[in-house]
Amino acid sequence: MKALAALGIDVGSSTCKIVGVDESGELIWHLLEQADPRAEDQVQRFLKAAEQKFGPLKAVPFVATGYGRKLVKDAAKNITEISCHAKGVYHELQKPGTLVDIGGQDSKVIVIGAGGRVVDFAMNDKCAAGTGRFLENTAGRLHVPLEALGKTALSADREETISSTCTVFAESEIISLVAHGVAVEPILKGLHRSLVSRIVAMIRSVGLVSPLMLSGGVARNEAMRKLLEEETGEKVHLPQYPQLMGAYGAALIGLKNG
Amino acid sequence: MTESITIRGKLRYQLAVNVAGRLTLAFRRRRNERKTARPGWSRDVLAPPLKLSARMKELMSRHYLGGRYANGAKKVAWVTSGAPIEILKALGFYILYPENHAALCGARRKTVEIASEAENAGYSRDICSYARTDIGAVLSGKTPVGRLPRPDVLLACTNICQTVLYWYRVLADYFKVPLILIDTPFIYEEAHAHDVAYVKRQLEDMIPAAEKIAGKKLSFKRLKEVVRFSREASFLWLEVLDRAKHRPSPITAFDGFIHMAPIVDLRGEPVVIDLYRQLLKEIDVRISKGIGAVKHEKKRLLWDNLPIWFKLRKMAQTFAGYGANVVAATYTYAWGELAPMMDETRPLESAAQTYLHPLLNQGTGHKLESMQKMVREFSLDGVVLHSDRSCKPYSLGQIDQRDYFVNHAGIPALLLEADHNDPRSYSDQQAENRIAAFMEILEDSSNAD
Amino acid sequence: MIDLPSRKKVIREFQKKGGKIAAVLPIRYPRELFRAFGFLPVEVWGPPHADVTLGGSHLQSYTCDIVRNAVSFLLSGGLDRTDLILVPHTCDSLQGMGSVLLDFVHPKQKVLTLYHPRGVRKADFDFLTEELKRLCGELSDWTGGEPPPGAFWEAIYREETADRALARLYRDRELLGLSDREFYRIVRSREFLPAEDFIENEKKLARREKRSTSGVPILLSGIVPEPMDLFDEIETMGARVVADDLACGTRRLYKSGHSEDPFVRMAERLFSAPPDPTRGSPISERADHLKNLIRKSGAKGVLIYDVKFCEPELFDVPLLRKKLEAEGTPVNYVEFEMGKILSQQTLTRIEAFIEMIG
Ligand code: SF4
Ligand code: SF4
Repeated sequence: MKALAALGIDVGSSTCKIVGVDESGELIWHLLEQADPRAEDQVQRFLKAAEQKFGPLKAVPFVATGYGRKLVKDAAKNITEISCHAKGVYHELQKPGTLVDIGGQDSKVIVIGAGGRVVDFAMNDKCAAGTGRFLENTAGRLHVPLEALGKTALSADREETISSTCTVFAESEIISLVAHGVAVEPILKGLHRSLVSRIVAMIRSVGLVSPLMLSGGVARNEAMRKLLEEETGEKVHLPQYPQLMGAYGAALIGLKNG
Repeated sequence: MTESITIRGKLRYQLAVNVAGRLTLAFRRRRNERKTARPGWSRDVLAPPLKLSARMKELMSRHYLGGRYANGAKKVAWVTSGAPIEILKALGFYILYPENHAALCGARRKTVEIASEAENAGYSRDICSYARTDIGAVLSGKTPVGRLPRPDVLLACTNICQTVLYWYRVLADYFKVPLILIDTPFIYEEAHAHDVAYVKRQLEDMIPAAEKIAGKKLSFKRLKEVVRFSREASFLWLEVLDRAKHRPSPITAFDGFIHMAPIVDLRGEPVVIDLYRQLLKEIDVRISKGIGAVKHEKKRLLWDNLPIWFKLRKMAQTFAGYGANVVAATYTYAWGELAPMMDETRPLESAAQTYLHPLLNQGTGHKLESMQKMVREFSLDGVVLHSDRSCKPYSLGQIDQRDYFVNHAGIPALLLEADHNDPRSYSDQQAENRIAAFMEILEDSSNAD
Repeated sequence: MIDLPSRKKVIREFQKKGGKIAAVLPIRYPRELFRAFGFLPVEVWGPPHADVTLGGSHLQSYTCDIVRNAVSFLLSGGLDRTDLILVPHTCDSLQGMGSVLLDFVHPKQKVLTLYHPRGVRKADFDFLTEELKRLCGELSDWTGGEPPPGAFWEAIYREETADRALARLYRDRELLGLSDREFYRIVRSREFLPAEDFIENEKKLARREKRSTSGVPILLSGIVPEPMDLFDEIETMGARVVADDLACGTRRLYKSGHSEDPFVRMAERLFSAPPDPTRGSPISERADHLKNLIRKSGAKGVLIYDVKFCEPELFDVPLLRKKLEAEGTPVNYVEFEMGKILSQQTLTRIEAFIEMIG
């Protein structure tokens, strides 16, 4: 087993992840769980698990990121997920590019420069419309399981336009479409399109630097990937562990500063 | 930066607009006039569309066609909808109204595509959707009218909102052309002498600036003529709208929204007078035959604020489906009610008064009074206040205005949340529900009488 | 450290001495005119702790929080100790507020308005002079007479002295040994302290050695930095504010006037302020002004921090960004909703920006 050289934890709004890296920055261990409302307990559990696997952690640099980063008392440092994502993705890619991260609570577009530096970034505005939650909420209405969202959307042979980007309005649009007997698939495809168009606006506002990468929970959704490619004309790359990029970047920052 | 006028440019304009354009557009109009049915027009609740709308369309298409070839043939000004254009008109400028162009994009369902261009460049979705549509069109060149001419000058008048000034500053930076400002202090209670003097002085100062760009001297004789045409057209427009006092009303406020483009865009030109005369004739035929625009007119309503451009027909039909005719609107009225203030014998003084007093430059209490007056004069049963997310000057105050109607005047009133140009801030389902509930209240209130 | 009294206390003391209180909305107005009439202007920048639901019964949710909170504050009795309310016509939202107060809310206080022109031409200047005379006339009518002529000049000189003190504070900010939060508490005490007290406080502040330069230097732009915890947060994020373009800050650094006519003099002062969208300043002028501030202060980035729905600010953001970034200064725009606490998302954006330029 390779020796643990740094740990990174990402306390997000829907999931919590921890990542361990070795001397060379390679990802050697990770855990991922649904977020526990008692974040502190969850972090302790994660650290115990790491200790069991690697022995005492005293000398191991430990960096926290994500919304709950300030709750991680043991961390030597806490850094925003923007910088961490950039670092993580850069390490995988080894060159500049643009990262789109669509999370449950917010979405971001980060332009990554040399060395994993953040050149510019944009985040969705306050409402849920530009986030994964927009899909979750509205899809819930259609009784489609979350994992099947993308596939179902892609199986559509047509597409319904969902013009409202406000979650509440979009829901009422969907209800009315369903009431008019429209099938689920074209509605779902329209929903994905609507979210993608918001993301594309963010990409444009910072300016796209190829290649385009996608991370966050929504990265596993194939419809998002496909539509993003359609709308930007760029191939979308996925990191090996799209959900772990924040924690991975945090560990890398720890490694460098450790 | 700006293009100079050349003989070639003028010739091109003559050929494209006055020869080829005139012929094709007239042909298209005749074809339209023969069409009696329109897709989506439900004849069971609405009278057939006004025949004159084909002529109006022709006029507006010619106007935009002129814009397409204007650079090189005429000096071009982009102006706000409440701007004092008579001076520019008298100097021979081609005048473009970005707000009207944005409304046209709205009616043709092009706003989302065009406004996104502005949003992608960083313009927030919280700014007026007219401004976003226009800035988007400027940045991307996208427009349903082919091409917009480059401005040689911008004229912004704050008598409708401050937003236009923020927006025109962006245009000024983009086009690197002069921005002429006519600042019109807001009238909370009544206009003061120094307000009028201030506006008049800015109009005077504007003359040499505009002359310089036009490369010629202003003829006061011509100015007076333009003012006379403006005034006459405005009076005719008022007459058109006032015909809605008849029962059943021969027109709806939605007809007003559709036919207001010339009084906004072409004010000061004799064609507008001609057009509205013909419109009056058509309406009078309807009156003499007892034809109502809504087939079974049971309720008569007032509309406050801009229309929802992308849902004009839908709104007309939804209301008509309940036997309700929205017969009058504060917005269309605003283009006629100042007509008496215009005075060709004192063109500048009267312009200062006229341009200080639009509905939007006066207090929220004044707007309530205007609405009350319309409710009386048009014998209305209820009020629909469109709370327009984009337009604060028009919308702020509506909560209290509605409260007055409902709780003090006993007149049902509905606050309808939407946006005049951005379909993304609107939901059919929600709007229909609210209107349905409102119509139930209206029914109940008349049963109680 | 200076012991700053609370707004409440200042109001009570001023009233004890027989003075009256004018509540004033943002941004521009002649302080001296009110002082000459015996009013202490106390400014209301949408107090963060107001219950917004009250304002919601008069103004739609797309009105900015400064205005909604101010109306809420008024309705909840927060301005009960004031005698008049001045609502300058700063933007469409404040236009709506002024009009709704006059026509529908009818508060017990006298409501006055003021139109600041949107240009800097001679016509604009002369209009402003006349507008100030009108305001003076309304104050005389309402209070029952004009103050003695000496009172005008006394008030003018005092406010000019206070504005010079404010300018000195800005000049010496690095030497005061203050945290950003403390510095802005003092700057913003100009919003409610009588000028004479402000002047005294400035004198008391010792100049020391230049503060140690740890922390990423940033320029803060926007209307108002509320809640003031923002400054603590910025500090823990490893940055410090070295210059500002705040409407409640340097955008109101008024110079002394020259004229011997009191009204012309007041107009000169208002006209001397730096560029501001609510005065109609061209965007390029604003950009040049900001470039200048950046050069002088050594700021490495510009944080534009604005309350949601503030149109005058929103329209300028894309071009300011473009123009400043072209010269190598990154710009980040963050919007917030006025409340007691800062949202996580707002904080993350600011922190990521600081990491980015740090
Ligand atoms: S819609 Fe309202 S805010 Fe927009 S330009 Fe017109 S008056 Fe101004
Ligand atoms: S924050 Fe902006 S919109 Fe609100 S009152 Fe101030 S200037 Fe007006």
